[in-house]
Amino acid sequence: MAGFSREVARRIFVEELKSANYSFRDGEDQHQYAPQYLLTPTGAKCNRVFMVGTLTEKDDIGGDTEYWRGRVVDPTGSILIYAGQYQPEAAQILANIEAPAFVAVVGKPNLYQTEDGNIIISVRAESIERVDEVTRNQWIMDTARRTQERLKVLRSTEPVSVSGDFSTADKAPASSPAQDAQRAMEHYHTDAEHYRQMVIRALASLRADLDLSLGHTKPESEPTTKPEAEIEPPVEVKEKAKPDAKKSRAKKSSTLSGLAEQDDTEEVEEVPIFKRPIDGGEGRGAAR
Amino acid sequence: MKELVDQISARLRDQKIEVPEEEIASRLKKLIEDFRVPEGEARRSVLNYFLKEHGVTFPARASSEKVKISEIAGPGRWVDLEVKVLDLWEPATEAISQTGLIGDGSGSMKFVKWTKSGLPDLELGKSYILKRVVTDEFQGRFSIKLNKTSQIEPLEKEVEAQLKRVQPMKVVEINEPGLWVDLKVKVTQLWESNSDAISQSGLIGDETGSIKFVKWAKADLPDLEEGKSYHLLNLVTDEFQGRFSVKLNRTSKIEPLDIDVEVGSQAAEFAGALVDVQKGSGLIKRCPVCKRSLAKGVCSEHGKVEGTYDLRIKAVMDDGRRVQDVLINRETTERLVGLTLDEAKQMAMEALDHEVVRSLIESKLVGRYFCITGPRVDRYLLVETINEAQPVTIADVNELIAAVEVS
Repeated sequence: MAGFSREVARRIFVEELKSANYSFRDGEDQHQYAPQYLLTPTGAKCNRVFMVGTLTEKDDIGGDTEYWRGRVVDPTGSILIYAGQYQPEAAQILANIEAPAFVAVVGKPNLYQTEDGNIIISVRAESIERVDEVTRNQWIMDTARRTQERLKVLRSTEPVSVSGDFSTADKAPASSPAQDAQRAMEHYHTDAEHYRQMVIRALASLRADLDLSLGHTKPESEPTTKPEAEIEPPVEVKEKAKPDAKKSRAKKSSTLSGLAEQDDTEEVEEVPIFKRPIDGGEGRGAAR
Repeated sequence: MKELVDQISARLRDQKIEVPEEEIASRLKKLIEDFRVPEGEARRSVLNYFLKEHGVTFPARASSEKVKISEIAGPGRWVDLEVKVLDLWEPATEAISQTGLIGDGSGSMKFVKWTKSGLPDLELGKSYILKRVVTDEFQGRFSIKLNKTSQIEPLEKEVEAQLKRVQPMKVVEINEPGLWVDLKVKVTQLWESNSDAISQSGLIGDETGSIKFVKWAKADLPDLEEGKSYHLLNLVTDEFQGRFSVKLNRTSKIEPLDIDVEVGSQAAEFAGALVDVQKGSGLIKRCPVCKRSLAKGVCSEHGKVEGTYDLRIKAVMDDGRRVQDVLINRETTERLVGLTLDEAKQMAMEALDHEVVRSLIESKLVGRYFCITGPRVDRYLLVETINEAQPVTIADVNELIAAVEVS
């Protein structure tokens, strides 16, 4: 068999990720160790996701052993992340972070269907790290670009109908973006325009955030395009962006909590009790 | 019983074989009554016995058809081929008795002959009919497998076949096995050979990158020297698990070059998020002889040794489209993490645990965006420069919004 190649961590805005309801195993033989994928409406076939957002709440929902649940917010919505005994490092970090905080999460998307047929998407965290707002902004740009790329492929596959030889193409072990898009189209009948608007909204909110942080720093500094520049001696600015960024985040904590609140009210979401089913998924995941 | 006997003799008559009914009946009876074999199995067993007796071999599974190599377009087909053996490679496992390249007028393809097949060996340059071989596929490339049901028949006439001839190539362009290539390269590393079949192996490189080479003992070629540049002619490319190498065989030529080939000055670039810091990162011990990292104080080559401390990072970067394994050496790690080797040792000593260093590295790097440059060796990018990605500006956002709006 092939050497294992690591799955790419897809970039997907929360709104799109939570709209996904199509999950399957891939590989020639559909055995239990074949990797599990979630196909999103714009055709991201993901076994792993990378997201950066604001951790707005966290709870230990476990019994005897710790089982941490957190809510991560991006400009389009919020999603729950989980870390338990099989992700000890992620769980420990989640336990020690005080919300709200910017976090970067690498994890596996998890699809759970409730008894009444609702589908809930969550993320089982492989790693969680505290990051700064600079990283969060980069993620929004990154995710906007990747989503835009998928939309482009999606639009070009729209007119293609299912042809007779599709079955042979489907057998290919590594599917191409075009095939993923085709599959997404068939399953979701995706409205590309809807997701294009989502991308624009996300970017517009990022622009508003940046505007705001510029406004905050103006009184203390010479007008400059990079608000961090005044904090450290200019020579080091290019080499070491991080310390600067950290200070800028501290300064902006008011905007941050504002953002979190805003997102919470925008999308009041009832989260059913899915401690037990998720625990089940957890066990299976760990066995792999 | 009578019914079974009739069925069997009918099938035998189809093959123009006449067998007395008593003979069939007695065999059946023995199986069913003495050895408690189920009727269906007994029937099959008896039928096969008489067929074999009369020299009729049945294709065990699907029937095969005669095809050209270029017509092989899917895995799992049973085919017959008329081919010439173009190259033989060293099998990577004992389960394989022979592997290499076969070709006909339409193209060439990798073949694998399983040890369990019990088939005779193929000879380089000879032509054969291969019957009932199975097609297979790995990562979009096809191959054929010779198993127990396959047959090999030597051919009198010679099959017209040639390896694809490719003109001088750069290392970075090698992306297909079974090509004949010429390279102008410098030998950057020689490795100790672990097989008698290999006279030399190591790394060679040109300005586009580095690649592993193997010089077969049978090739009977002069030895390459580390640091010297050569024009290597008639090498065959090979692939194992997605990584390419070149092999020097009997037909290859080595010509020393006067010029000095510069290796890998064209550094690769990668920009993306750092998504994982892997085991074996942080404070490690290396073998003082070969510099390999030690596992529990043991070097895979030199056994238990007194290791020397080092600091390094093995990480995975990811841009949402593909992943890139990266290696970061001590100097860069110290600068990036803001921790010297001595401080790392101190930290580990206080915590009585090396892993604290890795945890620290994780907390500083995972989830952040970086741009890196450096030469690509094997699946790793050896980091020469690493910088955090520039913070997003309003101008960046406006530009992207404009692009999305017009799409």
